[in-house]
Amino acid sequence: MISSDVIRGYNDTMILYMLLGGESYGYEISKQIRQLTQEKYVMKETTLYSAFARLEKNGYIESFYRDESLGKRRTYYRITPPGLSYYKEKCEEWMVTQAVVNQFIKEW
Amino acid sequence: METISVYLDHMFASLPKTLEVMRMKQELLSGMEEKYRELKEEGKSENEAIGIVISEFGNIEELTAELGIRAVEPERAAPMLTEHEAYAYTAAKRSAGLWVGLGIFFCASGVALLIFLDTLFETTVDSERGSMLGLIGMFMLGAVGVGMFFNSGMKLSRFKTLEQGFQLSYALKMELRQGQAHYAPTYRFSLITGVCLSVLSPILIFAASYVNEEYAPYGVAAFLLLAAVAVFLFVYYGNIQGAYTKLLEEPILAAAKKEEERISGAVGAVIWPLATIIFLFTGFVYHRWDVNWAVFPIAGILHGMLNGVYNMNRKSEM
Repeated sequence: MISSDVIRGYNDTMILYMLLGGESYGYEISKQIRQLTQEKYVMKETTLYSAFARLEKNGYIESFYRDESLGKRRTYYRITPPGLSYYKEKCEEWMVTQAVVNQFIKEW
Repeated sequence: METISVYLDHMFASLPKTLEVMRMKQELLSGMEEKYRELKEEGKSENEAIGIVISEFGNIEELTAELGIRAVEPERAAPMLTEHEAYAYTAAKRSAGLWVGLGIFFCASGVALLIFLDTLFETTVDSERGSMLGLIGMFMLGAVGVGMFFNSGMKLSRFKTLEQGFQLSYALKMELRQGQAHYAPTYRFSLITGVCLSVLSPILIFAASYVNEEYAPYGVAAFLLLAAVAVFLFVYYGNIQGAYTKLLEEPILAAAKKEEERISGAVGAVIWPLATIIFLFTGFVYHRWDVNWAVFPIAGILHGMLNGVYNMNRKSEM
């Protein structure tokens, strides 16, 4: 299990990455994150939905409703151009972070 | 599945019910339910599936911090009303309305009986006995009516705690809204019928006095009975509507309304006994049963006016 302290700053990045491939909705995104990390990281429900709220407030994603079968309605999200440039920034930031932290990591 | 919704209700119980929060809760619910369904399809047991869903819920503070809200103080958070209690309340309200309505009808019949007997024996040698008989009848019917008022009050006393505020789950609120919408045509119809009856009821007095000047008091007695039927419709159907309004009203409005009801009650406690005294006095001393009934509509209008003036003053203060 990964400590959530370490990963906290990159939850938004993960969600944005998942939206790069096209619009999606809450449960699907969390499932994909779980699969992609081979179940090493499971995003908590409150983490996921507070990230949606934050990203939408900042204009990085936008939400819309889509009617599903059986009269259900789902909230879908899609990434916006500012969201894409924010994502790129975060990627660069992580490269630097990773390089810095790696200086102090010793493999046994 | 029910467990998940109850769990969420519980987690959100102390949060303000803003649109944003309710939307967030709905999103969480549909996400959690979908996860639950998939776990079940994978062959997990009910308990396992619910356990996993709840363990992966996270921390409600994370959400409140993001939305920039703070939980309502625990002592201020009103208790949740269960579905069972809510429906018990609507049933008690309906039955209380029935008893108050019948009580009013009995009281009015008592007065009608008094007028009827007093007039019937007025010209005979038994005039004294007629008045006495009428009075006894009136007090007996009045006693039955008052007993019905008490019965109605007892039925509702169990729900006194609702005055301190309460909360409803989202699902129950929706269900009640639907119930109210379903009831609306019945309510409208009974109101219209009641208004028609009360508007038309004085015609009985004019009709009776048209036939013979002496018959006017009989017309008044008939008028009282018809008006009592109208009041019954207002009270009975109004109580059913009132139960919905009470359960669905906003907590802040509830406090203001309570004060309003208190003032209105105090005003009514003065006006109505006074009107009754005037009515009985002018009836017995001057035998003007044909006109003195007008004191009741006047009292009603006065009561409404004083309420209106009070509300207007308070609104301008705010």
